[in-house]
Amino acid sequence: MKEKNKGIFKEIKPYLGLLGLLLLVALINNGLNLWLPKITSGAIDSFNGQNFEISKIICEMTGVSVIIFVFAVGQSFLQTFLAETVAKNMRERLVNKISDQDFGFVNKVTSEKLLTIMTSDVDNVKQAMTTGLIQIFSSIILVVGSAVMLLRINVKLGLMVLAIVPVVGLVFFNVFGRIRSFFKRAQAVLDRLNKVIKESIVAAGLVRIVNSQNREIDKFNGQNDQARDLGLSIMKLFSGLIPTIGLLANSTVILILLVGGRLILAGEFTVGDLTAFNTYVSMLIFPMIMLGFVSNIIARAVTSYQRIEEVLNFEGKDDFGDIDKEIKGKIEFKKVSLSFGQKQVLKEVSFEIKPGSKTAILGPTAAGKTQIFYLMSGLMKPNSGEILIDDVPVKKYCQKCLSEQLGLVFQDSSLFNLTIKENINFQNKEDENNLKKAIETAALDDFIETLPEGLETKITERGSNLSGGQKQRLTLARALAVNPKILLLDDFTARVDRSTEKDIFARLKKNYGKITQVLITQQIASVEDFDQIILIMEGEVLAKGTHKELLKNSSEYRQLYSLQMSTE
Amino acid sequence: MKDYCLKNFDTNSKLNLKVGKIVRRLGEFLKGDKWRLGWAIIVVLINSAANVATPLIVGRAIDKFIVDKNWPELAGFGWLLAGIYIVVAVTNYFQTVLMGRVGQNILYRLRSRVFEKIQSLPLSFFNQNKLGDLISRINSDTDKLNQFFSQSLNQFMGQAFTLVGIGVFVFYTNAKLSVWMMLPVVGLVGITYILSSYMSKRSRLSLQSLGNLSAEIQESLSYFKVIVLFNRRDFFRENFKKANENNFAMSVRSGMINNISSPIYDLAWNAGLTLVLVMGIGMILKGQITVGLLIAFLAYTDKFYAPLRQMAQIWSNTQMAFAGWVRISEILDLKTDLEVMETNNTLKVKDDDVLVFDKVKFSYDGEKIILDKVNLDFKKGKTYAMVGPTGGGKSTMAALMCRLYDPDFGQIYFEGKDIRSYSGKELSEQIGFILQEQFIFTGSVGENIVYGNPNYEVYDKKKLKKELKEDGLEELVERFENGLDTEITPDTEVISLGQKQLISFMRAILRRPKLLVMDEATANIDTVTESLLQKIIDKLPTETTKVIIAHRLNTIKKADEIYFVNDGEVVSAESLEKSVEMIEKSKRKS
Repeated sequence: MKEKNKGIFKEIKPYLGLLGLLLLVALINNGLNLWLPKITSGAIDSFNGQNFEISKIICEMTGVSVIIFVFAVGQSFLQTFLAETVAKNMRERLVNKISDQDFGFVNKVTSEKLLTIMTSDVDNVKQAMTTGLIQIFSSIILVVGSAVMLLRINVKLGLMVLAIVPVVGLVFFNVFGRIRSFFKRAQAVLDRLNKVIKESIVAAGLVRIVNSQNREIDKFNGQNDQARDLGLSIMKLFSGLIPTIGLLANSTVILILLVGGRLILAGEFTVGDLTAFNTYVSMLIFPMIMLGFVSNIIARAVTSYQRIEEVLNFEGKDDFGDIDKEIKGKIEFKKVSLSFGQKQVLKEVSFEIKPGSKTAILGPTAAGKTQIFYLMSGLMKPNSGEILIDDVPVKKYCQKCLSEQLGLVFQDSSLFNLTIKENINFQNKEDENNLKKAIETAALDDFIETLPEGLETKITERGSNLSGGQKQRLTLARALAVNPKILLLDDFTARVDRSTEKDIFARLKKNYGKITQVLITQQIASVEDFDQIILIMEGEVLAKGTHKELLKNSSEYRQLYSLQMSTE
Repeated sequence: MKDYCLKNFDTNSKLNLKVGKIVRRLGEFLKGDKWRLGWAIIVVLINSAANVATPLIVGRAIDKFIVDKNWPELAGFGWLLAGIYIVVAVTNYFQTVLMGRVGQNILYRLRSRVFEKIQSLPLSFFNQNKLGDLISRINSDTDKLNQFFSQSLNQFMGQAFTLVGIGVFVFYTNAKLSVWMMLPVVGLVGITYILSSYMSKRSRLSLQSLGNLSAEIQESLSYFKVIVLFNRRDFFRENFKKANENNFAMSVRSGMINNISSPIYDLAWNAGLTLVLVMGIGMILKGQITVGLLIAFLAYTDKFYAPLRQMAQIWSNTQMAFAGWVRISEILDLKTDLEVMETNNTLKVKDDDVLVFDKVKFSYDGEKIILDKVNLDFKKGKTYAMVGPTGGGKSTMAALMCRLYDPDFGQIYFEGKDIRSYSGKELSEQIGFILQEQFIFTGSVGENIVYGNPNYEVYDKKKLKKELKEDGLEELVERFENGLDTEITPDTEVISLGQKQLISFMRAILRRPKLLVMDEATANIDTVTESLLQKIIDKLPTETTKVIIAHRLNTIKKADEIYFVNDGEVVSAESLEKSVEMIEKSKRKS
């Protein structure tokens, strides 16, 4: 438990200066607060003693109050500033870390969990590191300060009163130990709630078509139930804590009254002392109750910080090399294998693609075609084998070099909530000609002309204001705007009609004739004239060669071809 | 189409906070917990009364003791106090338990209600709002309200009772001294009033900036592969940085304004103490009060201002909760424009007409007309193909057939009755639609296949296997490495787009719809599998009407009728050759 606490407190380091200042302010503030009862009791006693100056009391009280006010305002401003700075910097570090990772990382950790970490978990830590720390600090000052004051006034009675402190500590320890697993589970439930919300929103169309709204609601409420049960369990643990401490505290009031009364009779104690004693006891108790609340905050933050640390301490990042040179466009796969967990996606895939040539990858659903593209572009790493571009392993290139010379058109159209221009010119290049060429090649010029705002038209959430074909062509234009040496098209023809397809291929030939093109497709007819066709099935290369060669050598290809011819 | 876009709030907007209305609406969420709240109030009252009584007893004890030096009576006071303190502890416990429960129940209902509301809204709502912001509203904003109910309201009630109790009591005990004690409150009321409107505005802006932040993270994470591929990690960082810095600025401001009340209240507290002390001593000198009473009054001053200060703190939490509530109620206030209508709108149709488009006009934004006075009829058991350039309106037609949207003008009739008069359940049972975009839920392939199927309230693998066999779908299941038990999630790249399309296909076929609409349903499926799908479609009951949208000619070859959709118009293409010609000729205006 100690070690984990250290983890969260090491986060404080960069803010030690600010925190020190804050603690100093808090110290002064609390010290002054401790002084006030002394003034009051002094006033009562001095009045009893007849040497009583009313103006002095007014001056003292007012002065101290105003100073407390100034420091308290300073403290609260500093605290807010520090809290938000901690949160801001932690979020920024998280994003820097996440954005350095490879594509697989986000898939594995899941975006729901990352979202909860960056919002709810960071908030929890922020609270603990500022409100929590200050409360602990102030509470300790107040506890120690009032303890000292109590002992100074009367050692015997002071010790009797202070006997409750260890008892209170014991009660805390007991609750604190049990509560942490609940917080951990509560955060996990929040992840799952986010997931249900997200899936049901992304799939809103399907949900409405199959009328499964109620099923989604049930799913949501299932998680919601768990969240409530956990919330109740946490609440139950705390519901006993505060009254117990309150009772312990109040018992001291009786103690002071009875024992203090006797002491006054014995002349060891004054009425003013009794008043001060009562005030100091309430000063001692209140911070202890505060510690109860704070322990709640800290316990939650420790759990949250573990989740944050998981991301921050993640070893490694997307490791690209530093080779930066012009790519000619030769691609080579040497015995490349890839598996996701138990599932083997690619088995010793080997082939070679000549620079400037056109290659088609053909194969049934889930044969591993898309993964070949992910490997080629460095989005994924193989489990074994080598992927070479111009005889250099793909991951040895620097990322800038690859991203500026390799264009990949994804099967699904992932467009950002930006303008059409910003989406196409995603690399933010200042080259209008390239942009124009890309738009024209993707046959988007006519479409963009019909839009009142043209290129500046904003694409709505998840591209919902565009048709499937338009989205597909936009992603093509985005890949072309890079002015790539290698163009990878993943099942591009699936969502555009034949005439558009022909048109686009003709424009590609005209505008980007010299680049290496690799096309994943289902249709032989579109690629008959390609330099090479690679037939893939269940992650293995079955055959490769030109259309003619494959017709001659591969029975599977012939079968596929005749099937397509007969249905065409 | 209706505007479902949730408003953005800026510094100049007026925040319409009608507290009365908010309380009344929040009351709805208390249903079933009213008795708990009632008990809580009783418990709080007892607790407050006990708290009010104790300083008096202590003060009395001191006076008695000083005057009478009466030891046995003092011991009696001790027992009395002990009894009261036990009451305080017990009531405190029940107060926390009752109100904690109420808070959790309210949180549960709120989240549920918002989620249910979202489920009742049409597709347009989701196209117009950001996913991350919606998640933020359902989770973070409701949690602000939970804190209000489980902590703030609980404390507020207790403090308010204590406050009033002490106020009345001290007034009764010594009116003059209590006036001095409460004098600083006048200033507090004024300051709080002025601060409140700033507080709620700032709270609102701060919650909104958090929603924006979450939307930013959500989008970048969803499209992470694009960011990596295009080497735009800086895009992710920069965009996030902007949102993060905005959130920082908003939170600092709202935090400062929300935190300033405590020092102000402390100042008033100390002012109260000074006044009581100085005036009290003066009164003792005049022989109007005793020392014991002054000591009790000083204690009462603490007991009076402590809850007041707490209430100030709670008040700023309350402003945060109200701001959260406003963001939530923006969703709750939305109404679907796709209500089931009680219309007797019927159209005399021929027996074999399944679906009829009657002068249907549709536009997404009110400007660009997608369909213009389209008249069409789809007959029982026939196969229709819709062709045309991308963006021509094919998918829109399909969406209208399943009532994802309503036409702006004109009607759509399903089996002679206005499509708007069918319930969602009736429609979904009779119309099957395979969307262009594929959706997968976390779970197994089998669970995904029966998703939303009314015959599978509970997942039953045996039954599913049997039905898949009957429909000739079992061969498709073999395309997943662990068959029906293959675990899938929407995010991962573990299953291919083609496989997702297979799941959607099986999902629709298994429901045995009267009308099956397929919007590019098989675009990414290889030709061998596709011919298998064709066989399965051919085996569907003869009365099933099929509408197919596709680019591949082989998919539409078997159609009885081919419609060409473009430029707001739908015309019959007569033959396959003619349709090819029309597509070639059509200018890609859209």
